[in-house]
Amino acid sequence: MTAPQRVLIFIPAFNEQDSVADVVCAVRRALPQADVLVVDDGSSDETARHARRAGAEVASLPFNQGLGAALQTGYLKALRQGYDACAHLDADGQHRVKDLERILAPVLAGEADLVIGSRYLDPELTEPGAYKASLPRKIGSSIFRRALSRAVGNHFTDVTSGLRAAGPRAIALFSDYYEADYAELESLQRATRQGLRIKEIPVIMLPRAAGRSKITSLQAAFFSFKALVVLGIGSLRRERKLPLLDDADAS
Amino acid sequence: MSLATHVLLAAVETKVSISPTTRVFALCLAAAFLILILELVRRRMLRERYIVVWFVAGLTLMALAIVPRALETLASLAGIQDPTAALFAFALAVAGLLLLNLTSVVSRQGDHITALAQEVALLRAKVESDEGDET
Repeated sequence: MTAPQRVLIFIPAFNEQDSVADVVCAVRRALPQADVLVVDDGSSDETARHARRAGAEVASLPFNQGLGAALQTGYLKALRQGYDACAHLDADGQHRVKDLERILAPVLAGEADLVIGSRYLDPELTEPGAYKASLPRKIGSSIFRRALSRAVGNHFTDVTSGLRAAGPRAIALFSDYYEADYAELESLQRATRQGLRIKEIPVIMLPRAAGRSKITSLQAAFFSFKALVVLGIGSLRRERKLPLLDDADAS
Repeated sequence: MSLATHVLLAAVETKVSISPTTRVFALCLAAAFLILILELVRRRMLRERYIVVWFVAGLTLMALAIVPRALETLASLAGIQDPTAALFAFALAVAGLLLLNLTSVVSRQGDHITALAQEVALLRAKVESDEGDET
């Protein structure tokens, strides 16, 4: 038997004081052996205190830096402290902890470098009270998927999912750099170009436990447009291969 | 003759003579500019790495004031009839490039600030958890 694998679960949170404690508690209950880190992205409310009281380690960024920087902080810890795998989920309680275990499984088994919890992969997979995306968001999402598929030559059903699990190769890639403005999209594009083994697993998304979504429909539409431009530029960028990835290829 | 015709003729006129007064004025301006740069560096208000670009700009200004013919040659090379217009065009282009350079410096600094913020966050988390262990 090999030593038990060390897993880090991190939760980027920006002003989520009403839901973050429940998410932390749920994760600790479901995965007692994993370490839980809340990356407080410069919240102005009591997010850090609530998370700490719920038993999570809290890394507070001194000022709001955006989702990408918050995620990179988690990956940085995973890299520095040599975790075998890590996963992140949103602090608003929309992701089920049950799905967290499911997306971690292929990474821990060494079958994938990056696993994405997809809300759209299996339309049949649903349950009462599951989250239903609004029409503009559905359209935006569908544009994203087509654009990304074209830009990276890979098919994904849910490119904006905030539920992901990562193995050592993905940890090395994302701790080195994480896109600031289109975190989910660009990181996926880069992971594909670096030749990471990416897998999607169908998950269910729940309605928000508390607070409101930070993105309105109009913003979502504008976001879609800008993302297309950014992805276009990204596909032109020359990708520098990370040394560690070459090592992994050779072994 | 109307004012419009005057302006039109001035634009068509190929040889725009630059008066000695203008040259002296430009020379003084260029000298003041160079002295300002030196002073800023002396007081450590400007990093050495940015001296070169500003010094080149200042020296170019001075060279053009001393040898106005250079401007006319440059203008005709670019196919611009009026050297004054050419001066404005070149100045605008240089200003644009400097702005672009500045934005890229700001972007790089933004990345550095993010990296520092992440280090601070992780270090503080470590310190807090260590303190928790001791008590």
